[in-house]
Amino acid sequence: MSVQINTPGSKPKAPATPIETSHNDAAKTFTHIHPILVLSLYAYKFPSIVADPVNALMESLVWLGILQIAYVAVCLPPTGSANVVAEKRKPGERKRAVAGKLERELGGKIIPAFLSLTLSVLPAIPILFATLVLFGAPITTHYFETLLCAAHISLLAILPLVYVHGVDGERWREIVALLLPVDSVFGGMVGAFVGAWLGAVPIPLDW
Amino acid sequence: MPRVQSFLLVVANLLIPVALLVFATGFFPYKPFMPGLATYEKLGWEEKMGWSKAPEPKFDRLVFMVVDALRSDFVFGEESGMDFVQSLIRSGSAIPFTAHATSPTITMPRVKAMTTGSIPSFLDVILNFAESDTSSTLSTQDTWLAQLKAMEGGKLVMYGDDTWLKLFPSFFEREDGTSSFFVSDFTEVDNNVTRHVPAELLNSDWNAMIMHYLGLDHIGHKTGPKGPNMIPKQKEMDGIVRQIFEAIENEDHLSNTLFVLCGDHGMNEGGNHGGSAPGETSPALVFMSPKIKKITEFLNRESPVEPLQEFDYYKKIEQSDIAPTLAGLLGFPIPRNNLGVFIEDFLYFWDDGYDRIHLLLQNAMQMRKIVKANFPNQKWLHETEEVLCKEDMSSGEELACRWQKAGQMMSTFASVHPQMRVDYLYAFCRAAQEIMSSTASNYDVPRLVLGTFLAILSLSLTVITLFPKFKSITATGFSYALTLVLYGVLMFASSYVEEEHHFWYWTTSAWFFYLFISSSREKWFSKFIFHPAIMLLFLHRIARRWNQTGQKYAGAPDIVHSPMLRGPNSIVLWSLIGATYMDIAIRLAKHVSRSIAEYDKKTGEVEDNDANRFIGTLAVLPLGATAFVFKLAFTAQDAPELVQGINEGMLAWVGQLSLVDLARMVFGGIALSGSWIAFAEWKRSRGRKEGKGNGDLAVALFDLTAIFLVTQTKSQNIPLYLIFRMQIFFLTLLDLSPTAITLTTLLLSQSSFFILGNSNAISSIDLSNSYNGISGYNVGLVGILLFLSNWAGPVYFSLAGILLLGQHGKLRRNINVSEMDSRDWVAQERQHLEHLAKKEDEGAERRNGWGAWRDHIALLTLFTAGGVGAVMAACTALRTHLFIWTVFSPKFLYAMAWGVAFHFGVSVGLGSVFWWAGSW
Repeated sequence: MSVQINTPGSKPKAPATPIETSHNDAAKTFTHIHPILVLSLYAYKFPSIVADPVNALMESLVWLGILQIAYVAVCLPPTGSANVVAEKRKPGERKRAVAGKLERELGGKIIPAFLSLTLSVLPAIPILFATLVLFGAPITTHYFETLLCAAHISLLAILPLVYVHGVDGERWREIVALLLPVDSVFGGMVGAFVGAWLGAVPIPLDW
Repeated sequence: MPRVQSFLLVVANLLIPVALLVFATGFFPYKPFMPGLATYEKLGWEEKMGWSKAPEPKFDRLVFMVVDALRSDFVFGEESGMDFVQSLIRSGSAIPFTAHATSPTITMPRVKAMTTGSIPSFLDVILNFAESDTSSTLSTQDTWLAQLKAMEGGKLVMYGDDTWLKLFPSFFEREDGTSSFFVSDFTEVDNNVTRHVPAELLNSDWNAMIMHYLGLDHIGHKTGPKGPNMIPKQKEMDGIVRQIFEAIENEDHLSNTLFVLCGDHGMNEGGNHGGSAPGETSPALVFMSPKIKKITEFLNRESPVEPLQEFDYYKKIEQSDIAPTLAGLLGFPIPRNNLGVFIEDFLYFWDDGYDRIHLLLQNAMQMRKIVKANFPNQKWLHETEEVLCKEDMSSGEELACRWQKAGQMMSTFASVHPQMRVDYLYAFCRAAQEIMSSTASNYDVPRLVLGTFLAILSLSLTVITLFPKFKSITATGFSYALTLVLYGVLMFASSYVEEEHHFWYWTTSAWFFYLFISSSREKWFSKFIFHPAIMLLFLHRIARRWNQTGQKYAGAPDIVHSPMLRGPNSIVLWSLIGATYMDIAIRLAKHVSRSIAEYDKKTGEVEDNDANRFIGTLAVLPLGATAFVFKLAFTAQDAPELVQGINEGMLAWVGQLSLVDLARMVFGGIALSGSWIAFAEWKRSRGRKEGKGNGDLAVALFDLTAIFLVTQTKSQNIPLYLIFRMQIFFLTLLDLSPTAITLTTLLLSQSSFFILGNSNAISSIDLSNSYNGISGYNVGLVGILLFLSNWAGPVYFSLAGILLLGQHGKLRRNINVSEMDSRDWVAQERQHLEHLAKKEDEGAERRNGWGAWRDHIALLTLFTAGGVGAVMAACTALRTHLFIWTVFSPKFLYAMAWGVAFHFGVSVGLGSVFWWAGSW
């Protein structure tokens, strides 16, 4: 899928810029470890997801939530923090910065992460559920499976987006229209959706 | 350059049918059969064995009772209703088998297999639908019927399915055929057979009575193998068996009667048949006679029993084994084209071992003739020569070697135990049966390759005509190519062929979602949930669940079978059907009123007025009402469960109407309205001083075609046309490029085929609407109606695509851009109107030339050539695949219909007529 930046002329808002991961060592390392962790979670859980989808998906949902919150808190700048990050690099304020680090981390990152969790999961699940049904998921049976699938997609795709972009309507229109510049968060969302669509390929197989 | 392109496109289109034909002749080779009746021939070794004549026959009369779709478990299983047959098995008066039926499991080829002993080729499937074709009758072939008739005083009687009467014209002394036209008929078809039984049992002039009961098959088609009528029907059949068996026990002239009860094929869990699921290929077979006790003494006489495998009860034999076994038991030469093997258990009727050898040697000699004809280059040594059989031999060599061994065993010293000779003869016969039945050796590979090559050539020519379009690669063009490539790859995987609908649903959903995203990129639609593309996706989601299709989930819940639409809720279904007819009638009324205005007018272009519209509505009312009443009357007979809750008096009234006359009235009405409107439009275009019309005629023809297609559709699928109509409406709201219109047409044509309940299995072909308005039998007309009733959805969308492409009948406002205000507050409105004006001009320009249509057809040709090419390549590459006859060759038959009838006949043929009519 081609993701081009196609900015219409009459846009009142400044065009979105790619999200960069935070500039510290922990963030740089964790950006690379995180996908491996998520993939190993699914690989580890795969046999039980096949055997008992509802319980296994429910269980892995918790772990996925923890991983995703850790990821956004460590690696990504929270919404509206672009200026704050720039200010942080002022010389001479080092001491104060160190002293308030934990507090700031908690206030500036962990809380937005949990906030994005609620904000992304609650409204996203019904919308994703409806989308899955529109693409052919059964509507009279297997709703728990579909619901949990929607929950997983919302954690994988929507949570990081809410964390970095907030709930601004205009921004979300751009997201739906695929008008955002490619970065790891937006690319991750496109990947999650394309992956979910490609996941239907084995349905006709009889083994 | 356009001229060269058109020429290449014409060549590419002509190549498609040629490629399919060449491939078909190589894939379904015409099997030469040996004409004439078999006679007893010299076998050799007569003196050595002391044979002077054929072994004594054990029976002189045959009652052959076929119960259509009598699956093995219906007789032998725990839940069977056939207690009397089971008691006969326990007492030893009956010997049970499961007779393996090869695919295609439909009646005519199965009857051929049982009577000739041969394995009918796949061509018989086509001939089954063209039943009147004389080349498919068995009157010139050697069958046990012909042999019994040729016996001294041989007379045959036949009651039941008229397939037999078609296969054996003027064979029977007395006959009464029943046709299986309405599958809702569970009782009449069978009573029509049973009423002849008592009298015939008293007659002694016949030596074979054939009965073919259809009721059980009808119950299967309607309600599946576990339907509520199934056990009562089995009990009814059991009662008839008892009646006949007791007559055999008590009547002197029947004392030497062999009574055979068998199914021609089975059924799957959905109650259908045609494919090769275990249920479909496992019919029951029981030989009954008080004399059979002689051979059942040491056999397993337990009943009911557990199956060894899913439907394998008792010993499993081939259906073709019936013919040579009957020949031995009733004492006539084995039919010439037989590939069956005498059933071993019956050998023990003859106490003398030499008689047993004699019977088997007849079987082996007869099969050797066929083997020799099929392997003309194989060297056959003299029987006494030594030969070394090796592991890796060709089929011909292996059979020659086995024959050699049997021959040596025959020629060795006379005192060797007879069973040794029997074993060697069986080894030859069974190997011959296995090798000759697998048609793999019969392909004409050069033709298969040539056919595939021609399709690829057609594809390449089409690509050349499309070269100018490659200058700008668009996402739509890329999607089109991706769809074609994925489709081609999937044709090589049996599961994806069986479940092809999944591919189309999956692609179509993604395409509609892509349309949503791509239109959102240009302009955000504030009520995005009601965005036309999302509505399309929503409608598509409902439509795809309307009918469950494919193999894997056949019989899973769907909208058609939900209680929402049937039983007491039939009224919901009929309201939707009524709405569909109303919608079409209102559209037709507009066309007619416009034509009245045209005939009425004095000068110039006129608009229709209210009076015209009123008369227009009155004029189309009879057509719409007749079409609706026809559907109701037809359904009341074909599927009574769908008309419950409809007013009794009304049903009684429609019950008196003649279906043939009603259908003819509908077709006649369509033709009449068509010519009336066409003439008016012609007058209108003549009277026009300058410029062109809106292409209203194309729209009128489309609406008339729609009412015809609805008439050719099963009533439970008619509401789908409302959904289709809404999809077309939402498509007109989207701003689609010509390529996008072509891709949408392709996706919706293919999806709608499966949405209407079709699949790539032969068993899903719906025959019920192919006799509308036809009283006699006419292969051409039935074929056309059969095609149109099964391809109604694709035809609908193929023509709808043309209207979308040319924007036919779209209201033109003739916006004059230069007169518009340029003030700020109307700037946006101005932009919008400019855009509309541009689009309208584009549409008009498109529909008045042939360029856009040619590009449309070029893309569709690209898909058809690529698709049939992939199917042919898959059939060539996988010709030894286990599923070649069950999955790939049915798909090839469907590909032929898509390539010739749909692409050539509808997309190109009918499509060009529409395009031309739209340019008036």
